[in-house]
Amino acid sequence: MSSRSTLAELLWAEKYRPRSLQDMVNQEDVVRRLQVFVKERNMPHLLFAGPPGTGKTTAAHALAHDLYGEDYRLYMLELNASDERGIDVIRTKVKEFARSKLPANVPFKIVLLDEADNMTADAQQALRRLMEMYVDVTRFILIANYPSKVIEPIQSRCAVFRFASLKKEDVVTRLKWICSQERVACDDRGLESIYEVSGGDMRKAINVLQAAAALGEVNVSNVYKVVGLATPAEVRALLKTALFEGDFLKARDTLRKLMVTYGLSGVDIVRQLHREVFSPEVTISEELRVEIADYLGEVQYRLVEGADDEIQLSALLAKLVLLGKPLRQQPQPPKPARR
Amino acid sequence: MPSARKVPWVVKYKPRRVDEVVDQEEAKKLFIEWIDSWFRGKPEKRASLLYGPPGSGKNSLVEALANERGLELIEMNASDYRRSSDIERIVKTSARGRSLTSARGKIIVLDEVDGISATADLGALDAILDLIKSSSYPVVLIANDPWDPKLRELRDACLMIEFRRLTKTAVKKVLHSICLSEKLVCDEEALDFIAERSEGDLRSAINDLEAVGEGFGKVTRSAAEALLRSRDRDLNVFEVVRKILMSKYAWQAREASNQTDLSPDELIKWIHENLPRQAQDPEDLWRAYEALSRADVYFSRIVKSGSWDLLTYAVDMMTAGVALSIKNTQYKFKWVKYSFPEVLRLIARTREVRQVREDLAKLIASHLKCSTSTAKSDVMPLLKVIFDSNPQYAARLALGLNMSESMIRYLSEHNGDAIVKLVDDLRRELARAGVRRGGETALGTRPARPSPESSRGRRTGSSKGLDNFSKK
Repeated sequence: MSSRSTLAELLWAEKYRPRSLQDMVNQEDVVRRLQVFVKERNMPHLLFAGPPGTGKTTAAHALAHDLYGEDYRLYMLELNASDERGIDVIRTKVKEFARSKLPANVPFKIVLLDEADNMTADAQQALRRLMEMYVDVTRFILIANYPSKVIEPIQSRCAVFRFASLKKEDVVTRLKWICSQERVACDDRGLESIYEVSGGDMRKAINVLQAAAALGEVNVSNVYKVVGLATPAEVRALLKTALFEGDFLKARDTLRKLMVTYGLSGVDIVRQLHREVFSPEVTISEELRVEIADYLGEVQYRLVEGADDEIQLSALLAKLVLLGKPLRQQPQPPKPARR
Repeated sequence: MPSARKVPWVVKYKPRRVDEVVDQEEAKKLFIEWIDSWFRGKPEKRASLLYGPPGSGKNSLVEALANERGLELIEMNASDYRRSSDIERIVKTSARGRSLTSARGKIIVLDEVDGISATADLGALDAILDLIKSSSYPVVLIANDPWDPKLRELRDACLMIEFRRLTKTAVKKVLHSICLSEKLVCDEEALDFIAERSEGDLRSAINDLEAVGEGFGKVTRSAAEALLRSRDRDLNVFEVVRKILMSKYAWQAREASNQTDLSPDELIKWIHENLPRQAQDPEDLWRAYEALSRADVYFSRIVKSGSWDLLTYAVDMMTAGVALSIKNTQYKFKWVKYSFPEVLRLIARTREVRQVREDLAKLIASHLKCSTSTAKSDVMPLLKVIFDSNPQYAARLALGLNMSESMIRYLSEHNGDAIVKLVDDLRRELARAGVRRGGETALGTRPARPSPESSRGRRTGSSKGLDNFSKK
């Protein structure tokens, strides 16, 4: 028996995304309060804040779904981080939608803005005015990883909902349920190791689960195999070139390769470097690991502030070249002395 | 008749006689009198220092006079006499005692002496002074800017001869005559433009004329603009970056950044590209990058807050902050080759791959309702693992997500062909099933959620469920 759904497969993070609020298995407090809005068919502007993969976007869609039914997208304008959301878009597209006449059967329309913290201050100001002017017909749901980067006047106009990082049991239970739906063999230690590598980010956990399942079954060794394969070898090369060879220009070329050909962002690379720094296969002193980690944190902070990936990571490489200077002066025991 | 070897026009049209040297009448008079006094045996000053802006005729005058009088030129430029020993060598080989084999007189020319103060050890200056005292031939020093305090003693020992910046009219006259000799069609406006741009530098004006004439076969204003504007900019940027990195004072570095029409956020890319070439000491490099990174943080704050007032701090850090971080003089003033920001080239070269990657990221983002950067960092590497290790399953995903062929190949170098073929098979199978079932499931649509019926259908057959898709 062939049909599209037997032949084609989706990403599990999409396939098993809760469609309705009642399907959401965690963030109980948040969900309960949102369900009140559905019941009363009224709500204020909302700001969903919390780390990635904790259900913010899912909750927003589920809320709209429960308010308007299957065709909820008719009444919702959704602008993702990848969409253009400069001040012009706010003044034209968003404004058009926000002021448009209210369909007879719904209490209000919804504008959903993902990663609102990445919008410029100008665009946020423009947004604030729209939130005021059209509040009778349109409600805004803003989603942010870092609520502090949403301007104060917007924060004060929104009911803020904090999404906590998911607990281990929540993640493992959900993963186990997906495995049973998919008829995939899994063991608890495998699922726990997925939680270890994804740290309370459900979307990431489900993606790792699907990749591990594609290797056969979900066990510890497949999980780590997947994570290892998904980390480009260049990340470790970057660390080693800068520290042990002190070759800044070569390291910078590797960095560019990672960014341009793999399309990794600066923060991605910092995170992966962080993992490498504590890997036993990188033979450096414990003190140095900590010192590098501290600087990685600083770089990530600057990147989150909006600084340029290449310049900040080059500054990091320059720091590594300097930190590696004593290592290069005496031959490394595990490596043959060079020069 | 094409000539066998092409001589650049600056060489071809070099003045052979003193009266062919354009303008600079006062300098000519002084210089000729001085040389004459030498060969009469009692010069008032034993050396002369010709100074003035580039391309104003300093070298040309010396060469033309030597040519007229049959004097031999012994020329050295700054890179040849960095150390005092270099200078002593000249003193030994050429200066002391008149040569018996050559009846000709000689002129010793030290070019670019203003370059020496920064690059050479100071012994070199003493050696030049010694040379001036002991030489039995006239010593001519040449400089653009002789007013460095370190050169004071040299100035005292020399007859100072100033060359003025050439006027636009004078430059244009020479260009005209070259066009005539080369039988090159040129319009007045174009020569105006080239002369104007040269700022009195005849050498660069002739080079520009040659470039335009060679490139277009005639010299028109639009041709000149098209060719020179772009070339000028890159050369200029290298110079500006060099000036910034070599600055000793904060104001120098800040001022240098005004000499380019690049915006600060473009200029920072050029500084970033070339900084590690100049600052080779790890300590310097780290300090300089700290400054550059601060500048970059200011840029991000400008974008966030819209306060353009902050721009000046960004510029401070990327110019003065960087320049003053480079303390190791061994590298600071070393001449190294700079390059064009590599990342721009890399981006141009990888345009197609990146386009595929961006399209794929958008596709994934729309399915997972996440940002494209999450798609790239979190999802795509895992998809690559799946595509590399399980082609059958990968094909089903490719079908479900409606991936293009190039996306599939992007995700797996090794299995690309196999997966593309598997997807084709799946599509055909699906089409057949669609016909059988009255076209109920059209290609390109996907179910909103997996219906229980269909999941059951898929699960029958294998306990693993993943690499199982029916091939009936």
